[in-house]
Amino acid sequence: MNNSSLTKAGVFTLIVVTLCLAGWEMYLRSSGYKISYDDDESLWSDKRDLVYQPSDKATVMIGSSRIKYDVDIDTWKKLTGDQPVQLASVGSSPLPVLDNLANDKNFSGKLIIDVTEILFFSTDMPNLKTPTENVDWYKKRTPAQWFSTKVGHVLESKLVFLDKDYFSLNSLLHKIKVRDRPAVFVFPDFPLEFTRVTSERQCFMTDRFVADTNLQNQVKGVWGFLRKLSTGPPMHGAALDSLFATVKTDIDKIKARGGQVLFTRTPSSGPFLMGEKMGFPRAQYWDRLLSVTNCPGVYFEDYPAIAHLQCPEFSHLTVADAVIYTTTLVDILQKEKGWIFPHKPSGN
Amino acid sequence: MVFNSYTFIVFFLLMLFLHNLPFPWKVKKINLLLASYIFYAAWNPPFILLLWLSTIVDYFVGKALFTQENKHKKKLLLVVSLIGNLGMLCFFKYGGFLLENFTHLVNALGMNYHPAKPNIILPAGISFYTFTTLCYTIDMYKRKSEPVKSLLDFSLFVTFFPHLVAGPIVRPPQLVPQFETARTANRQQLMQGLLLITLGLFMKVVLADSMLSASANEVFNAHKMVSTLDAWSGVLAFSGQIFFDFAGYSSCAVGVALCLGFVLPQNFLYPYAAIGFSDFWRRWHITLSAWLRDYLYIPLGGNRKGKFRTYINLMLTMLLGGLWHGANWTFVVWGALHGFYLWVEKMILDFRKVRTGMITADGTVMTGHLGIQTPKNKTLGNFMLALFTFFLINVTWVFFRSPDFTSAWQMLTSMFSHVPNGAVLLKTINIIKIGVIIFFVIIFHWLMRNTRVLIVAEKLPWWLLGMIWSVLLLLLILSQESSSSFIYFQF
Repeated sequence: MNNSSLTKAGVFTLIVVTLCLAGWEMYLRSSGYKISYDDDESLWSDKRDLVYQPSDKATVMIGSSRIKYDVDIDTWKKLTGDQPVQLASVGSSPLPVLDNLANDKNFSGKLIIDVTEILFFSTDMPNLKTPTENVDWYKKRTPAQWFSTKVGHVLESKLVFLDKDYFSLNSLLHKIKVRDRPAVFVFPDFPLEFTRVTSERQCFMTDRFVADTNLQNQVKGVWGFLRKLSTGPPMHGAALDSLFATVKTDIDKIKARGGQVLFTRTPSSGPFLMGEKMGFPRAQYWDRLLSVTNCPGVYFEDYPAIAHLQCPEFSHLTVADAVIYTTTLVDILQKEKGWIFPHKPSGN
Repeated sequence: MVFNSYTFIVFFLLMLFLHNLPFPWKVKKINLLLASYIFYAAWNPPFILLLWLSTIVDYFVGKALFTQENKHKKKLLLVVSLIGNLGMLCFFKYGGFLLENFTHLVNALGMNYHPAKPNIILPAGISFYTFTTLCYTIDMYKRKSEPVKSLLDFSLFVTFFPHLVAGPIVRPPQLVPQFETARTANRQQLMQGLLLITLGLFMKVVLADSMLSASANEVFNAHKMVSTLDAWSGVLAFSGQIFFDFAGYSSCAVGVALCLGFVLPQNFLYPYAAIGFSDFWRRWHITLSAWLRDYLYIPLGGNRKGKFRTYINLMLTMLLGGLWHGANWTFVVWGALHGFYLWVEKMILDFRKVRTGMITADGTVMTGHLGIQTPKNKTLGNFMLALFTFFLINVTWVFFRSPDFTSAWQMLTSMFSHVPNGAVLLKTINIIKIGVIIFFVIIFHWLMRNTRVLIVAEKLPWWLLGMIWSVLLLLLILSQESSSSFIYFQF
């Protein structure tokens, strides 16, 4: 092959690749899909950097998936004038992140810890895996990784097909239904419409998900699958005492630096809520947590404005209800818990 | 930074632009050197100091070694260089391993000694650049080549970013002369380089990371007996992963250098089509095996000191080659297995040559890698031999990948015996992916074993090459794998 043939092949490649990607992008957009970010360790670390903004502006949120769905970042910004930092991780305990913030002498801002009992009152390795990996990645992040995150962020903000969980080659291949051997552990899929992620790490369900009970039932099926996996009794006795002691130690460190810590219990509904109340009676877990740590808390059932919000799949709020929840939470924080947001726009 | 990252794409485009500006050659070389330091510092900036230390010591020691006439002083200078280079390597790479083994030893002798575990971070690519600088000082000691004229050229030889952290391990005569005259890539070199980069990234990102790594990790991290199907799937997945990971890196390195107008040596030549183990080491990590041959096996006596010493030298070379890969006894056993395979192969070949009267007067056969020659013809018999070699190589990968001997033993037992209650881990789609990829790897390697990818690419019509290139690039973009590290960076 001569020089010009190789160049021809290169130009041909460029045209084919551009056309194919443009076609794929247009197809996804025409099918109603919108931008969603990979909620991975690099995005987490990107947000972790923000906890050092002046302490009177930083409100950091840790927990599991509920606070990621239930706190609407735009509403929070509009009401408080502050940029909240979402550091919660889906399906995980917040304790590794709490420990990381507690031992970071530069962090002295406001901290909201959301409690999903089955994940919070647990030291099972799978529940600690993602936040531990996120913290480790943050600590070991190289300058090159930091820069790659910034570039990736720009690309993800423009291209719908850059969504590793649903449109990567591997995830597309795994959509092919091939029968597995009976003993293989197969985690059921969440429908794409259930989890879209913003650049602020807020999760939201699509309008289609809210309208489609089949999709909601698919997620309810995943909760049922998870319930069958957890066979042991809820944490109790010495293990629970030890967990309370660890949480208190970490919180005391933050408070000693002038930080403020508050717990939230975000809404759940239906059989999910019933199961949580049975497994983790409020007096033994939530009330004791507040008393041991000497922290204020916002339990959704105590406030009529948010007590009856319904979760379509029993565990997370829709975007519309997240706005209501966030508005109410900010109101409670200011009027009842004494939190001050010095940068809030006048009129709020 | 790693080649499979957005950071590298930006860095590389910037480098291409700067390298093609009408600056004087010296300015371009300074530019390349600074870029190489940035490339390295993007991992862990403080470790750049080690690189500087190694460069400066070896440049001046190398010059002195070449000109020194006094034998004792010459030896002393060589010892200084060896202590400097190997000392650094030992501290960072083998410090923890040595301390752990020392602790085991003294505790076995009845002493109660439990030192704190050292928290040593391994500088990226230390094994590679140490070998690069070592071969320079040894060459200077033996006066095998001329000393590098300027510190700038020597620094660039050691630090040139395409080969810096994971090879190919270059020798001074391969690279230094290329720094002496101004060069930029012509259009053909640029396109060839871009094709190699695409192929390399496809191997690393699509095949190693996206298709195979999860399955290999799942099986090897199980730490329990698994079903025979899962065990073999896991081992084959790792077999593919390690090849695509490292060969992918090497292709990228050669391609990146070519885009800048430099030629680096090939590091892989379809190793899974190797017929026998001598052939395998001529095809796998070629620059390392050549280094071990020239700077370890031959100085030990090679096959010039009789049969017994040849076997000992072979084994020593492979044991140290194993240890070079990692500070763990499992790597030593991996090397020992390869040494054993080479022994058996040499015995068979020696026996055949005696029968056919082809053995030399001193009883040795001095052809091929480590003194062993292997067939080249693509016959069915040779294909079966290649398959058998591939089978035996998979056994060695068990020790290479397993974190400890218990896990390795569990894996071997799972592979070679019926395990009634072995864990069933892999989804069917993953087993299919592994099967399809390994099947095509074997076929592709066999078809390509006597040629090179660029030679084949140049024979294809432009539209067909364009189609293949497009598929590689599309799959690469669609795989959306994050910038995971290359396996060989830890070595």
